[in-house]
Amino acid sequence: MSQSIPDATRAIAATPQGASSRRLFALWRNFFSREVRQRYLGSVTGLAWALVHPLALLAVYHFVFTKIFRVGNFGPGSFLAFVAVALWPWLAAQEALQRGVTSLASYAGLIRKAAFPHEAIIYASVAATFALQFAGYLVVLVALAVLGEPIRLEGLLLAVPLWLVLMVAVTGLALALASLQVFVRDVEHVLMPVLMMLMYLTPILYPLTVVPRNFLPWVAANPVSWLVTRMRDALLEGRIAPQWSDAVAVAIALALFAGGLWMFRRLSPYFEDFV
Amino acid sequence: MSPPLAADAGAASRLLVLDGVGKDYPKLATRGGRLRLVANLLRGRAASESFRALDDVSFAMRRGQSLAVVGENGAGKSTLLKIVAGVIRPTRGRVEVKGRVAALLELGSGFHPEYTGYANIELAAALLGLDPGEIAGRREAIVEFADIGPHIHDPIKTYSSGMVVRLGFAIATALAPDVLITDEVLAVGDESFQKKCIAWMEKYLEGGGTLLLCSHSMYHVQKLCAHALWLDHGRVRLYDEAAIVAREYLAFHEAKSTQHREFRQQVLGDYQVTSLGLTPRGGRVEVDPVQGFDVVVEIRSPDARPPVCAVGVVRADGTPIFGTTSEVDGARGVKVAADTYAFSVTFRDLPLQPGHYLLRAHAMDPEGMRLFDHHETPFVVAGTTRELGYTHLPHEWHGQRGGA
Repeated sequence: MSQSIPDATRAIAATPQGASSRRLFALWRNFFSREVRQRYLGSVTGLAWALVHPLALLAVYHFVFTKIFRVGNFGPGSFLAFVAVALWPWLAAQEALQRGVTSLASYAGLIRKAAFPHEAIIYASVAATFALQFAGYLVVLVALAVLGEPIRLEGLLLAVPLWLVLMVAVTGLALALASLQVFVRDVEHVLMPVLMMLMYLTPILYPLTVVPRNFLPWVAANPVSWLVTRMRDALLEGRIAPQWSDAVAVAIALALFAGGLWMFRRLSPYFEDFV
Repeated sequence: MSPPLAADAGAASRLLVLDGVGKDYPKLATRGGRLRLVANLLRGRAASESFRALDDVSFAMRRGQSLAVVGENGAGKSTLLKIVAGVIRPTRGRVEVKGRVAALLELGSGFHPEYTGYANIELAAALLGLDPGEIAGRREAIVEFADIGPHIHDPIKTYSSGMVVRLGFAIATALAPDVLITDEVLAVGDESFQKKCIAWMEKYLEGGGTLLLCSHSMYHVQKLCAHALWLDHGRVRLYDEAAIVAREYLAFHEAKSTQHREFRQQVLGDYQVTSLGLTPRGGRVEVDPVQGFDVVVEIRSPDARPPVCAVGVVRADGTPIFGTTSEVDGARGVKVAADTYAFSVTFRDLPLQPGHYLLRAHAMDPEGMRLFDHHETPFVVAGTTRELGYTHLPHEWHGQRGGA
């Protein structure tokens, strides 16, 4: 029951040490359900709006890229299926980062007055976004399949782990950026344009095959490019056999998570004074 | 500062130990400073510029031994309570906590304003690592104790401050903490709820509960706590029995609010107090209220006529309590030199409350009309009390004598 805390460091003082992981989970569950609830509470459409934004985007892209610019070479299905498969994971990552970075501020009162592991906030915020976006993704995939698009639902065997890898990586980035945001408020403002540029540098709206040869290595080196390409291979072509690049992706995601957590833990003792 | 408890308390019975605890807050002067600060923190270094909120605080608390923290605003009380509650880490020193700490830090501490009262009960449970199931049995008790009716389903941000305190107190009590930390929260809330809180607190203390209280009310400090810690500019100024700390703290404030009125009149040929001596009787350092004290005042008269001596007692803040003159009492000074007269007076059976006082002496002209010189010397009336005010008025309670 007792703990001795070395100089100037202190684990969780309010409860015995053994309970700390249980407490992290209890807190995560509490914050997670709040995050999910607050996104549909007060809105007339309820959880359905989680679908409205990506569907509207999809409609705009469909109009612009098939009626005006007339992109081609995007594989077996329609442009709609081609974009939808890649758009949802991207939107999930983008929204999770944006919400995650500012999430500490909305728990400021709690951070100033209560003792708890602050990372629970980030975990809950990112997980809530991913859960809602993934639910929307499933609805859209089924809808596309019903409409006759060549969606290979067995591709989910790879797509689900890919979502998880993406979530781990995004959690790591969110931990790092959110802890930085507490001290430097510019992070959230810089993040918006950076994400927008990254989206257009990722082959979400266009296939890698139309990228000019001299830019190709740059676009292909983008880890998100790898992810959306792999996602398309799985869900549109049914190629789900493991590749060596999967292991690299897992390693990158874990490294991002570890780095983000390290940074977060270094800075979180000082949140109370700055948040 | 060597706390009296650190040595004698067996390690097993110590609920809380702070050893040389200090806390620095980084100071930010410029925009670039923010980035530099983050860089320093990431490298595990101290901030280059910091404000020392707390320094070298040591004390130990045993089970059932309550401690009050007193001090002026900004003395570091809240920082200390936050360190004990685990909200912040100390920059220096060692903190050891055994058992469950529940903290009521200011209004609505640990509450999320957007959550309903009900959801905040769940949140409080989660903060302690309890499953929703574990809190379920206590939820009704909490709602009943808080007694805020249907508001329990409204977000906390719509609550009045009294309702927030009710719910906070109800939650803290339901979690059966080993140490309860409260920061001046009992000052809020209506009277019937305060009574409920005090009643609960007394039961908690009787049952071996431990309280870490932060209060400006010396009455509460003495009533609820055996020991007190006086923080001054982040450092421990005094750590002793609650009654003694309360006395010294009040005296400090009285002395601080004194306007040092130096009305020494340099009239030509004035009457001067040349010496003022106060001797506690019974050979003690402090004045025993029964034994009293002796005063000897020597006054030089410019024209060799016998002057009048005025003596009086004022509280440390200058509030007059009693004064008289040799003329009023028909007393005379004794000529001890060609131009000097000595006045000797004894005060006994002082109806003064324990605390700090000043003895004042004035030289007056032989007619007892003009006040010339002004001297004062401090003294301390020994003892401890929970009575209020400056003096003790003899009194008697009627009816049946109350039990425990």
